[in-house]
Amino acid sequence: MNIFLREMKANLTSLFFWSLGMLFMIIGGMAKFATYVNSGQSITDLISQIPATLRAVLGFGDFDLTKASGFYGMLYLYLLLMTTIHAAMLGSNIIAKEERDKTTEFLMVKPMSRSRILTAKLAAGLANIALLNLVTMALSISIVGQYSTGEAITGDILILMAGMFILQVVFLFLGAGISAVSRDPKISASIATTVLLGAYLISVAVDMSSSLNALRYLTPFKYFEAAPLMATGGFDVISVMLSLGIIIVSGFATYYFYNRRDLCV
Amino acid sequence: MNIFLHELKSYRKSFIIWAISMAATAALFLLLYQAISSDIAAFTKVLESVPEALRNALGFLVGSLSTLPGFYSIIFTYLLLCGAIQAMNLGISIVSREVSAKTADFLLTKPVSRAIILNAKLMATLVSLVATNLIFLAVTVPVALSQDPGTNMQLFLMISATLFFVQLMFASLGILVAVVTRKIKSVVAVSLPTVFGFFIVGMLGSVIGDKAVRYLTPFKYFDPAYILANSAYEVSFVVTGAFLIVAAIAMSYLIYVRKDIHTV
Repeated sequence: MNIFLREMKANLTSLFFWSLGMLFMIIGGMAKFATYVNSGQSITDLISQIPATLRAVLGFGDFDLTKASGFYGMLYLYLLLMTTIHAAMLGSNIIAKEERDKTTEFLMVKPMSRSRILTAKLAAGLANIALLNLVTMALSISIVGQYSTGEAITGDILILMAGMFILQVVFLFLGAGISAVSRDPKISASIATTVLLGAYLISVAVDMSSSLNALRYLTPFKYFEAAPLMATGGFDVISVMLSLGIIIVSGFATYYFYNRRDLCV
Repeated sequence: MNIFLHELKSYRKSFIIWAISMAATAALFLLLYQAISSDIAAFTKVLESVPEALRNALGFLVGSLSTLPGFYSIIFTYLLLCGAIQAMNLGISIVSREVSAKTADFLLTKPVSRAIILNAKLMATLVSLVATNLIFLAVTVPVALSQDPGTNMQLFLMISATLFFVQLMFASLGILVAVVTRKIKSVVAVSLPTVFGFFIVGMLGSVIGDKAVRYLTPFKYFDPAYILANSAYEVSFVVTGAFLIVAAIAMSYLIYVRKDIHTV
């Protein structure tokens, strides 16, 4: 419990700044919406006729940008990118920092098994990403609500945030797993974010070319996309299973390797 | 000179890996070009049926896509993202790691002034970035030519060169951040939120087409549409960019020679 509280306290400032970042993102994005909607219907009509692959190249996506919900759907990808970066870095740093800051000895001589230490740290990580998710949800509902003229949007936001949370957990555990395996505490966060960046670029490539559709299950960014989530109101079963698979495998790897690794002090 | 060579050697592996992975990503995207060019042809037909004023507003954007440099300029956004992360990581770590690795007292007790130390580190950063760009070009140019032998090389190289400019901006920003802060525990924890912040501002700005936003983010200093149309860069942005780089570096020198550097 002490470790959990210690980690919560240590990450409080960073969580505050990430929340502030989300606030600016949502306010900034939706303020753009207000100016965009006034620019007229005709351009959006034309945009809607662009083939899907070209829209992906140009960055419009599959949304009706004249509606607050459509605009938020486009914004969602960037919110997703930010929260998953937060999760991946948190997951890898929360484990790697003991070795980086040379505090491993201090922690390891405590009468606690490594597994219990990991559990406390992962619980703190989960609590942090859940808080960021709740902050994003509250901000989205209140800010997007200002712009949606009578359109029911809360349900859409809730399902999007549920998808976001699953992805956050995926990247938290991926980051933790990488840190548990990696011998060099300095590079584990870099590896975790490289994986994330690679996954993002693959998702962009899949959008651009339908011949790459087979790769869609390779990148978690394609698991919970805004457009299908908002259209169907439910998750794709395979995507959820794959996410669970990644979480279980990397969670298992975290415990397995951290318990056996020669920690550098 | 010793410091310069030492830094260059210790970052050699890192920049080679970065350059090769960026080049591989660029090659992957370039290989998509032929698949997309058929979609573009189809859309050009749709365009013929809309009013002329609207066609002009959007037509140029799509018309420019139908050439390889035009297509490349749009996917290049993502390569700029990777390059910016590399440059900012390099800029932050080359200055801050003396403190984080506890080697600052070792270095600062050598009979060289702090200005000379910073000089050597800046030169090592510059050479690493130049080398990254050369490796990158050595891979992407042949791939582009294999996809379309008639590629307009001048435009292709002009677009590729924006990677170097953007990297210089982020590297000098990274150095400034590293000089201002007392101790940086994790380099990526600083660089990633910063770079992605600028990237997202740029992406949102480009969907909306907001002009003022362009000065806020280095990612938008080089507008591909302008480069494609005029075979030139926009002078006001180049000047602003150069000014920002010089200002950041000058401030870094001023602060670094006076800074209280914590040892052990």
